[in-house]
Amino acid sequence: MGSPLERRRRRRLRRIANGPLHRYLSRPFPKKTLDYRCVDYLALDLETTGLDPKRDQILSAGWVLIRGHRIDLGSARHRLIRCDGAIPADSAVIHQITDDEAAAGERLGRVMRELLDVLAGRVLIAHHAEIEIGFLDAACRELYGSGLLACTVDTEVLARRTFERRNIPFRPSELRLHALCARYNLPRYRAHNAFYDALAAAELFLAQVAHRDNGNGFCLGDLL
Amino acid sequence: MDVELIEIQEFLANHPPFEQLPEAALEQIPRQLTVRYLRRGSAFPPADDQARHLYILRRGAVELRTEEGELAGKLAEGDLYSDACGGNSESRALTGQTVEDTLAYSLSCERFERLCTDHPELAEHFQDAPTKRLRKALDVLTEQTATSSGLMTVTAQDLIRRSPVIADPAISIREAAGIMSTERASALLLMEAGQLAGIITDRDLRNRCVAAGLSTDRPVKAIMTASISTISADTLGFEALLKMTRLNVHHLPVVEGEQVLGMLSTSDFTRFQSSSGVYIVSDVHKAKTVAELEAVSAKIPELQVQLINSGATGNHVGQAVSAITDAITLRLIALAEAELGPPPVPYAWLVGGSQARREQSSHSDQDNALLIADAMSKGDDDYFRQLAERVNDGLHACGYIYCPGEVMAKNPTWRQPLAVWQRYFENWIQRPEPKALMLASVFFDLRALHDPAGLYDGLHQQVLELSRDNRIFIAYMAANALKYRPPLGFFRNFVLIHGGDHDRSFDLKHRGTVPIIDLARAYALSAGLEPINTVERLEAAAATKALSQDGAANLIDAFELINTLRIRHQAEQLSKGEHADNFLAPERLSPLERGHLKDAFILINSMQETLGQRYQAGRFT
Repeated sequence: MGSPLERRRRRRLRRIANGPLHRYLSRPFPKKTLDYRCVDYLALDLETTGLDPKRDQILSAGWVLIRGHRIDLGSARHRLIRCDGAIPADSAVIHQITDDEAAAGERLGRVMRELLDVLAGRVLIAHHAEIEIGFLDAACRELYGSGLLACTVDTEVLARRTFERRNIPFRPSELRLHALCARYNLPRYRAHNAFYDALAAAELFLAQVAHRDNGNGFCLGDLL
Repeated sequence: MDVELIEIQEFLANHPPFEQLPEAALEQIPRQLTVRYLRRGSAFPPADDQARHLYILRRGAVELRTEEGELAGKLAEGDLYSDACGGNSESRALTGQTVEDTLAYSLSCERFERLCTDHPELAEHFQDAPTKRLRKALDVLTEQTATSSGLMTVTAQDLIRRSPVIADPAISIREAAGIMSTERASALLLMEAGQLAGIITDRDLRNRCVAAGLSTDRPVKAIMTASISTISADTLGFEALLKMTRLNVHHLPVVEGEQVLGMLSTSDFTRFQSSSGVYIVSDVHKAKTVAELEAVSAKIPELQVQLINSGATGNHVGQAVSAITDAITLRLIALAEAELGPPPVPYAWLVGGSQARREQSSHSDQDNALLIADAMSKGDDDYFRQLAERVNDGLHACGYIYCPGEVMAKNPTWRQPLAVWQRYFENWIQRPEPKALMLASVFFDLRALHDPAGLYDGLHQQVLELSRDNRIFIAYMAANALKYRPPLGFFRNFVLIHGGDHDRSFDLKHRGTVPIIDLARAYALSAGLEPINTVERLEAAAATKALSQDGAANLIDAFELINTLRIRHQAEQLSKGEHADNFLAPERLSPLERGHLKDAFILINSMQETLGQRYQAGRFT
């Protein structure tokens, strides 16, 4: 019974030891047939030292929860992660996290535990989700010896589908988070940290589903 | 402490009423918010919010309508919707829909009420009636100005520098001069049996004694000015200055009851720049040609700027500028009479509009008329035509441009004997027509500026009696008072007008002061009240059944608020050497000023509606 993802979750659950990932996997994923408005989401963004989950490290994570298509700002979190070795200068320019700050951050294990606890039973939202999924998966393997399973909505994919469905030609740059936010008349945040990018992705998600919804709702599966 | 919501906190801190909250309280709010995205055309407040919420617009726009479907306001970025949270029970909750894609923060009413309990300043903003907020806004405005001025707060008593120099009127002129020179006083008060009998000044000694060849052995009584004006000790410095300006005197005794406390002279004002008001008037009196008057008149804008900088309100400036316009007009009349000789029959020079109401700002256009004694013969009009032309042309040269509606004494229609004026007024009042009344409304703000024979008093009384008893006429005046409506409010950098139009700028006159001036006129005429000045009319009407005490006080506050903003806007333009106008761009207003203005608009609008209902004014528009 259940979706392939559900079956994998149950299989994985039997194989791994107690701990944060076990707790995470013991909650079922939301059913694809549910009305998207009844689903709980977690919008996430990670800042990393580079693009390769095998070599690079997570520097910070920011997230916020969406319930009943409302963003709950009370759930907003921003976590800096203690990092081994120097942060490559070129990435420090982008996310403005210095070595000192990174050294003052929390241990990756602690942040992962906190994140997995809130992600359990929720749909993950990220913009260009490949990065978030890749790094979380690598972190899980390193910490718990097993990769991540997640039910994910990628706002970038939703945007690309919209352009394609409407036959609107687009440049890759138009798929960037901030370009899309501007397109939907959403606020432009000055800070470019993991939290504000997660919030921007959450707001973009609300805008995307609102424009898709004709008032009757649709099922979660349409977004995956 | 998490700092991630700082940008949302900053957004709140930039918008009233959250800006009033201490940082520590403000920090707590973002975490209590939820964010909603509402597509254009969605119901607002959103139908699917089960609990009641307060909304703060982050992006987008919302249109709010009354139960009858009439547009009542528009919200944009930073605007707040709190109708669902009760509090202000005066107004019914407005609802509407988003007219743009909208991102809104919502706060549950429950949490909001808790916030109000913890921060009374927040509760005040929501729970105070708009009229109470207006009063506070005005207090702040005048408080700001008071600190910078002095002249607006200091009293006549504070300005006196020494005890009065007093002598008996029976002493000789030489003795009086001796006292003045020992005391180094430029004026001497003369008292007889504890009563103020008169005053002499340096100038009197020169003009009435030495130049006139009068013996210095004569009693000083012979050259004193006997009928003298006084001011009471608690008169504000500004009003004292204004009185001296109006009377064109340089000395005024300050009294408290029967007791003379001292003498105020124009030199006591020298530490206040605005004293130039007195000097301008005395320059006006010295002027012998129109060209000289033009030169004096050119100083008025500068005076207006000085007055504003020293903290004057709209009412102060209106009084001062009108006093100078009066002086210039009187001087032009005197110059014309000097040239043309004495009038063949008595006449009165009448002024209308803002000058009559003493609400002028620098160089309004002129509104005037001539009332001539019925004894005039046909040939006499030639004299009055020439007089009128001289004065009208002189005023025009001095910057009071010709009235575009030709309401001027040189227009024969408005240069008529008393009997004709009586007929005019009877017609306007007993057979009112909207078109005639548009023009006529100038004539219901009429003041006799120069009227040695007292021709106008009787006419004014007749007009008041006729109008008070004529319900149809009052209904027309009420309809006239509904012609100019205040805006609904502001929407982004636009002014939102009834019906949904947007203006780029706020017309401080037609959408601000004029509706109140028109209301005050309607109240005054309906109760047969004499005052012409808007504030005085409202004060007088408050004592009658035409207007409640509260209504009057609130309208006066609204008038002072808008008029002061207007006069400040003009002072800013004048000080930059620009032409002064009445158009204020909304982006020049602080969010708080916008809020206060909106309160004033709500008030004016409701007073207009009440008046309209009472007289069913809609039938006459």
